[in-house]
Amino acid sequence: MADVWQGTLALMVLKTLEGLGPLHGYGIARRIEQTSSNHLSVNYGTIYPALLKLEQEGYIASEWGVSDNNRRAKFYRLTRAGRKHLEREARSWERTTEILARFLAPRETS
Amino acid sequence: MRAVRALIARLASAVQFGRRDLEIQDELASHLQLHIDDNIRAGMTPDEARRDAVITLGGLTQTQERCRQRVRPPFFDVIKQDVIYAVRTFRRNPGFAATAILTLALGIGSTSAIFSAINAVLLRPLPFADPARLVMVYGVARSARGVDMHDSVSYPNFADWRDRAATLESAGAYANRALTVTTAPGESRVLRGKQVTPSLFGVLGVRPALGRAFRPDEDQPALSRVVILSHGFWRQQLGGDPHVLGRTLQINDTPFVIVGVMAPDFHIDVAESEQLYAPLPVDATRNHEFLRVIARLQRDTSARQAQADLDEVCRHLARTYPRTNEGVAANVEPLVDAIAGPGRLALLILFAVVTVVLLIACTNVASLLLARGATRQREMAVRAALGAGRGRLVRQLLVESLLLAVAGGIAGLFVAEWLARGLVAIVSDVAPVPRLDTTRTDMWVVAFTTLVSMTTGIVFGVAPALVSASTDLNEALRDAGRSSTGARAPRLRRGLVVMETALALVLLAGAGVLTKTLLTMRATPPGFSTENLLVVDLYMPPTRLSALESRAPFFDAALARVRALPGVRGAAFVADLPLSGASDSESFHIPGRPDPAPNRWFNAGFNIASSHYFQTMGIRIREGRDFEDSDTTGAPGVIVINQTAAKRFWPDRSAIGQPIDLPITREKSVRLTVVGVADDVRHVGLAVPPRPEVFVNSLQSELSWASVVLAVRTADHPSGLVDAVKAAIHEADTGAVLVRINTLDQVIARSMAQPRLYSLLVGAFAVAALVLAAVGLYGLISFSVAQRAHEMGIRIALGASRSEIVRLVLGEGVALAVVGTAIGIAGGLAATRALVGLMAGIQPNDPLTFVVVALTLLACAVLASYVPARRAAAADPLAALRAE
Repeated sequence: MADVWQGTLALMVLKTLEGLGPLHGYGIARRIEQTSSNHLSVNYGTIYPALLKLEQEGYIASEWGVSDNNRRAKFYRLTRAGRKHLEREARSWERTTEILARFLAPRETS
Repeated sequence: MRAVRALIARLASAVQFGRRDLEIQDELASHLQLHIDDNIRAGMTPDEARRDAVITLGGLTQTQERCRQRVRPPFFDVIKQDVIYAVRTFRRNPGFAATAILTLALGIGSTSAIFSAINAVLLRPLPFADPARLVMVYGVARSARGVDMHDSVSYPNFADWRDRAATLESAGAYANRALTVTTAPGESRVLRGKQVTPSLFGVLGVRPALGRAFRPDEDQPALSRVVILSHGFWRQQLGGDPHVLGRTLQINDTPFVIVGVMAPDFHIDVAESEQLYAPLPVDATRNHEFLRVIARLQRDTSARQAQADLDEVCRHLARTYPRTNEGVAANVEPLVDAIAGPGRLALLILFAVVTVVLLIACTNVASLLLARGATRQREMAVRAALGAGRGRLVRQLLVESLLLAVAGGIAGLFVAEWLARGLVAIVSDVAPVPRLDTTRTDMWVVAFTTLVSMTTGIVFGVAPALVSASTDLNEALRDAGRSSTGARAPRLRRGLVVMETALALVLLAGAGVLTKTLLTMRATPPGFSTENLLVVDLYMPPTRLSALESRAPFFDAALARVRALPGVRGAAFVADLPLSGASDSESFHIPGRPDPAPNRWFNAGFNIASSHYFQTMGIRIREGRDFEDSDTTGAPGVIVINQTAAKRFWPDRSAIGQPIDLPITREKSVRLTVVGVADDVRHVGLAVPPRPEVFVNSLQSELSWASVVLAVRTADHPSGLVDAVKAAIHEADTGAVLVRINTLDQVIARSMAQPRLYSLLVGAFAVAALVLAAVGLYGLISFSVAQRAHEMGIRIALGASRSEIVRLVLGEGVALAVVGTAIGIAGGLAATRALVGLMAGIQPNDPLTFVVVALTLLACAVLASYVPARRAAAADPLAALRAE
């Protein structure tokens, strides 16, 4: 399960950054929690190793900045490579879920 | 790709790990602050807000640690842990660590020391353009004496090779010349010079620093009165005058125009640097062999291809010019090897020797690790029981051995630096090897040492790690206290001891063969009286004293003056003094007798001597007479031969009065008659059996020879007569140049210096190997005895006598040593053959040497086993029974 979580978490991070633009770690964690309508309640801390990995792979870049309420925070943004990666991963994820959904769907005929 | 990129980022971040760590801390702090702000806005108290934020994060330290693992290089933590653990275990057992590190430092240090010498002599590029493509092309001469692979080449053959061999891009040639340079009116000196083809500088890819190189047409005799100076000559003789171009220099009493000055470090002969360069005039004689040829290979062409190409060219030339080129061949050698000369073989042999020492050192450390592994069985078992996988244990043990290797390597670098300095100092004194003085501990040596350390760490670490980590859990935990499985040392360790004994024997055999040669030399009387003999090396400038008409008066005058000195018993000239390293040979016919084979004549060592030579040297005349004053230029040609020659050429009759025909040119030969048979003398080397020798009278030899030796027999120690002899020679003719003046004892000491050096070097490493092997055997037997203390106690309790116990343990050690010795003798017989090229007189598989060497090794083995055997015999039977 850990592997799946790592992979999906990375995808969620990338998608969040694509949607909202540059964002700090806390914001990303918050956003993921909200989007999943609180179904996913994991420690916010797990997001940071994921961010480090994505940055090392060159999919995101980071920069220190100032938050809405004037706090210093590290902002992440999507790189071009990250955008392409997201596109690819999202497509493959859709295909996977589609196949799985068809597989798991109750049979209608015969 | 992305994974690689991430790995690089992680490895890179290891360098700036501290900064990254701080940044993560910063980021997490900022995260908490943002969360706390939100929580307070949602109505929590500051304390609650903080608690909730930390909990939702999943703990601050935990998150930090998880991030750290992402940033650090992979395995960083585990390996760090292994290293810390290893250092701790070493500290707990410093004796073990120190022994292992010292052993490795010795092994790695010796190897790196020789490597640094090889690096300087053979690996570092020569100071020419693209030096890897430069080769030396020697002539090959086949004579009755054997094959000379390093012969000179005639000008027409050089030109044909250059023009016909497609594998050669260009080629140049040179001849070494001793030149008399008049530096001031009435003051002249003899300097080393080279006559070079105008193409040679281009082949080497160098240009003069000042002025120009030779023009292509300056090989025409009319245009060849030009000279290029070496930087050294320019500085020392001409004060570095920048306006020197166009001035003239008197060389061999002929004016030469200075056209260029070479760069400071340029020399063709790295060993004996030349001072001057003059163009080599074209020479049309196809059998006048006097040139060295340097060629540049075409791109992407190997020396081997060039050799094949030149073989073909030589075959063609032999068909075209059968009279001169029958049997003439070419020998292509990379220039770097050609320059290193015989030093190359010596260095490679030494490298093989130190590699063996390193192997023994590795074996010893592996054996130590195995012993240590056996005593750590319990620790390994406990760790395995607590969940450490086999891989984890192997890695732990490998980290330990790598750590030892790195420590050994660092210590070895210091050993190498020290050894290399000593080596260079000793060798330069005795047998100068070109470029050896440039030996440095440079980047390459450090890289080599690192590589060797890592390799050794793995080589000696893997087997013990695998063995130690695969301990049977149950067995180990049950009776780790007193082992019955360890009743005998494990097979692997016994194998290692056999191997190092064998290796040590190979080195001992090598050292033994060299020492035997040296001892033979010491014990062999040279065949003449060595006391109170002064040896004067003279150079006879070709312009003044080359023709017999000008030389004969000088010989007469010098001998008359020197013999007249008080305290002088006798004096004589000789071309090649015995044991001085100089020797020559000639082929001849014996009238009325067929040649030994078609195109193969009789052959003997040839020498030229003046009247009373044998009397002066103290060589007994067995039959007939010495050269007399009456044997002059006009008198009938006479020769004196040695006993070996008399027996070889006239076995069935007295040699006195027998004639030989000595060819002077292709068409003409002279008839010479034997007038005396002298005792044999060791001429080539003290350890080399006498060869047949023929002495021609110095006043009757048309052969032109530039250097000559004056031997002066004195009544007392000759050192007091040096000045008087010098003055007498100068009075006889001012043109003869005195090169050096020695006593014969010094000449003989010089002839022994090289064998002494070799046996010293190989001997030192062989002793190191012997000590290491003995320590290895001692360690094994001690270990085995310690493991069997219980068994020994029981044996004694059951009535075994102490001497039986000693014999039992000794037997184990000696059996291993005997097996090792047997293997070692086989290896030694093969290995000592490689020493033959090192110097004359080496006898590779001398049975006595091998017996002595094997006995030495076995004695050491007995000694190494005896100490632990005594310990075993002292086992207390009561203690053993109580434990039962």
